[in-house]
Amino acid sequence: MKHAVISCLHANLAALKAVLNDIDQNGISDITCLGDLVGYGPQPNEVVDLVRERAITSCQGCWDEDIIEGLNACECSYPSQLAEKRGHLAHEWTAEQLTDINKDFLASLPTSIRRDRILFVHGSPNSQHEYLLPDMNAFAALERVEKAGADTLFCGHTHQPYVRELKNGSIRVRLQNTSNHNAEDKEINLPMRKIVNAGSVGEPRHGSTNATYVIHDDVTGEVEIKEVAYDIGLTCQAIIDAGLPRIFAWRLSHGFEFAEQAEDASHVCER
Amino acid sequence: MIERWALVSGLKGDLETYELIQSELKKARGVTALFVLGDMIGPERNCDALLNRLQNPRRKELEPQCIYGWWEEQLLTEQGFRGEQKADTLRLNQGEEVVSALLNAVDPSHLKWLASLQFGFIELDCGLIHGSSADVGDNLTSETSPLILLDRLTRLAINRLFTAHSTKQFHLELTGGGIDSQVKDLNGQHQHQQKVSKQSIIGIGAGASYTIYDVGSDKTHFLTAGGQSNSKGKGFA
Amino acid sequence: MGSTWLISGSPGCGKTTWILNTIKNHQGACGYLRLAEQAESDHEQLAVSQIDYTFLKDQIPHLEDFSDCRETSISQHKDFLTLIELSQSQSPESLGTIGIDSYAKNRLESLKLQPDRHLHFGRDSELPNNDTLVFNKLESWRLNLASSVWDPQSLNTFWFELVNGAYGDVYRAKALMNLPDGQSIFFNWIVSQKGSQFLPLKTVSPPNGRPERPSGIVIQGKGLDCITIQSTINLCLLNDALLEMHQMPLRDRQPEVLHAS
Repeated sequence: MKHAVISCLHANLAALKAVLNDIDQNGISDITCLGDLVGYGPQPNEVVDLVRERAITSCQGCWDEDIIEGLNACECSYPSQLAEKRGHLAHEWTAEQLTDINKDFLASLPTSIRRDRILFVHGSPNSQHEYLLPDMNAFAALERVEKAGADTLFCGHTHQPYVRELKNGSIRVRLQNTSNHNAEDKEINLPMRKIVNAGSVGEPRHGSTNATYVIHDDVTGEVEIKEVAYDIGLTCQAIIDAGLPRIFAWRLSHGFEFAEQAEDASHVCER
Repeated sequence: MIERWALVSGLKGDLETYELIQSELKKARGVTALFVLGDMIGPERNCDALLNRLQNPRRKELEPQCIYGWWEEQLLTEQGFRGEQKADTLRLNQGEEVVSALLNAVDPSHLKWLASLQFGFIELDCGLIHGSSADVGDNLTSETSPLILLDRLTRLAINRLFTAHSTKQFHLELTGGGIDSQVKDLNGQHQHQQKVSKQSIIGIGAGASYTIYDVGSDKTHFLTAGGQSNSKGKGFA
Repeated sequence: MGSTWLISGSPGCGKTTWILNTIKNHQGACGYLRLAEQAESDHEQLAVSQIDYTFLKDQIPHLEDFSDCRETSISQHKDFLTLIELSQSQSPESLGTIGIDSYAKNRLESLKLQPDRHLHFGRDSELPNNDTLVFNKLESWRLNLASSVWDPQSLNTFWFELVNGAYGDVYRAKALMNLPDGQSIFFNWIVSQKGSQFLPLKTVSPPNGRPERPSGIVIQGKGLDCITIQSTINLCLLNDALLEMHQMPLRDRQPEVLHAS
């Protein structure tokens, strides 16, 4: 059966509506969301309302968590002082706008969802804040999936959709310890694993302004990356009407993230 | 010039062992640095004398460069140095008595110094950490999956990780291997093969078991204070 | 007897770069003077010439500056080359026999400088022929950034947004910006040329607080959102505590310390 995986909606209602419409047209009713329903974008309540109305199974993203628990991400997860200050501004605005019911809903979301050997998370199994970029060290990437006890890991957070297959892995080691004076050689073979990044509905960063999501066929294992155009003008106008910084509208309409992403992909804030 | 590091951990207040190691290091040739990778304290005995000594080294004694370990983390957490958390893991696993024993083992006057200690050092291409880049309590041994070991090295972009938390002495070298990575995105498909580069994880031991690392030849020597060398320290190119 | 050359051309045509190369290749001592048409506002003129001059002086430490000096007799020495940079959009021919406007002419007379050569970008073939724009009726905005230090990543983002039109149609932007490691970077961007020029000055300040040297930005364009430019710059500049955080590890590098993530 085919199901759709969406992520990083970032309070962009026009983009979410366009993606849901595209999913409907593909005849898919099973949708999983990987979090970051809110943050930066101008319609946090409208987006959360729509996710609840459509009963979309969702895990919690770093923005959703921060809105509930207060700013939890350490400053080092922002790539620059400018990005941090803009992020804080967006955080305060969003926290003020969200209704208590919607905050409770975000607070109730799990950090991961498991379906047999498939795991859905926002960032990585380690943390909602960790980026799994497509060029991350292949062994480190495999370690994330393996540690989580999954065959396929669905994640978001990077806003760049991709499907990554890790296979034919092996590591050779030589050991010397105190009880054994002779070196001992061994080789382990690593299992094949897959990481699927669902991209971003509300804040794309793959080089175009279109929303992205993925369709997964759990019988064939095939993953299709989908790109959906939407009326960015609507969202940009909503950003300006809401009194959010104009630069958010400019960045969105040029296909840049509202704030740049952290440079160190492996950075994990464990606070 | 010969450059060798001495690596010590898990003294848990044992000044006698520390003095014994110091006297052996005096006799050893070329030891230029002494790294104490945490667990200077523990609940078993009063640790003040050792802590005093680490902060005030004697003349002609190698000056210790200390980082905090798992026991320091527990104490600092319990004493409110880690936000609102308490040492709940310790309390849950070892009971309230151990928490009180730990509090009693260290005079509060040492807290400021303990809180000022760092998580780890990077020296040349080596990481020196009590546990690992993932966590101060990361229990890395020679039995740990090489995939995890590789991940811990990758996180810091280092070639050698010296770890202490497991208390074991071992030198595990990653000698080869690789993995195929295939990425499909909106621009198409890319193949990439990643090789395992030569990297090592070294367990330095704890208490009387300590390690000397020869920087130039990349050789480790596992020693026990008051005893013999635990290995011939050969064979590591 | 030294030589005195007048180099004129539109803003952004490459005068400063050409002058820099010429001075570098000249055997003897050199003097430099930057003139502007009267049309340019005095304050902004001062800001641009300060950025250019600081950059040139950094590249050629022995350069003589005639901008605020009344004594130019040194230019009479043999092998002495005086280069006068004149920002002038109109061609010399359209300005009569002398080829420059009366404001610039008076300045030269008061300094007793008499050019024996006049080269104009777009007219003289020995000068490179870069595409330039007509800069009449442009808005301009400037900010003195002396003793301000940028968060490097924030500066990257700001400059990227600025030259890509996030704060209005920028035609030209020139700046000298301080980084926490003591570097000062000369930024130069013009809409008609590809990419920005980023040149670190040779002179580096020690990472000890705020550097004392000229720093500033000048922007020319249309529909500039100056309020947002100013407020964005404010978000990018380091306060004392953060500056100290950047500089402390640079002063004391050994051993490198790891912080728990």
